[in-house]
Amino acid sequence: MLAGKGFKRVFNVAGGIKAWHAKTAIGPQDLGMDLFTGKEEPQDILKVAYSLEQGLCDFYISMEIEAKNERVRDLFAKLSEIEVKHQMSIYKAYNEISNGETSRDEFEKMVENKALEGGLSTREYLDLFNPDLNSEIDVISLAMSIEAQALDLYQRVSAKIENAKSKDIINKIANEEKVHLASLGKLMDSL
Amino acid sequence: MKWMQFLTPAKSIDFNETESYISQHPGEEITILDVRQPSEYQESHIPGATLIPLPQLSDRLEELDPEKPTLVY
Repeated sequence: MLAGKGFKRVFNVAGGIKAWHAKTAIGPQDLGMDLFTGKEEPQDILKVAYSLEQGLCDFYISMEIEAKNERVRDLFAKLSEIEVKHQMSIYKAYNEISNGETSRDEFEKMVENKALEGGLSTREYLDLFNPDLNSEIDVISLAMSIEAQALDLYQRVSAKIENAKSKDIINKIANEEKVHLASLGKLMDSL
Repeated sequence: MKWMQFLTPAKSIDFNETESYISQHPGEEITILDVRQPSEYQESHIPGATLIPLPQLSDRLEELDPEKPTLVY
């Protein structure tokens, strides 16, 4: 149907979702969309993204405290450090586009606490994926599921955002999540 | 009648090709189109996929960009 309607390159994914062995996302198409109105200016996008990264960082830190296995604790620490770096790049981007010198403290005061990255809460993630918190593979798999969910959310939100610059920013964040997901896959393969 | 819509075959790509295609293209440059029912999408979907159930597809084509490569499942 699409090929005959002017779509230039159409590919049929053979086997459909059953043949898809990488991480999937779950939930309805509007999951997490309430975090964005669609009218956000670039600065607003960065504030919401920062708060989602903060939610995930706090989650990894709380899991680090809870985990009994030392290697798993180290893994959670690494995952939270990655989120901290991601937050730093969001904060820098905020100052760049604002042409200002907002301090980190001032910026954080402007950021509202939202749901965890990907639009679900900590408890919802744990209930959904039920990971063995003593297993490195389970922990990486959980992190990959969250990243897949975040990538999914950012890409759905991109379609809703009206401001072109805001759209560019959310696309950039989505692509960073994609890279992050790939690096977690490599980490999983190395175990 | 536009016979082309019935005769133009879409190329099939397997899991490895699909994953590699998605990883090599920024999300905003491709469309991943899920044509299943909403309940199936809700249960599991490829991250970033746009849901347009097959029965609605012909009426909602304007929501998609025909210039972008489109991966359908």
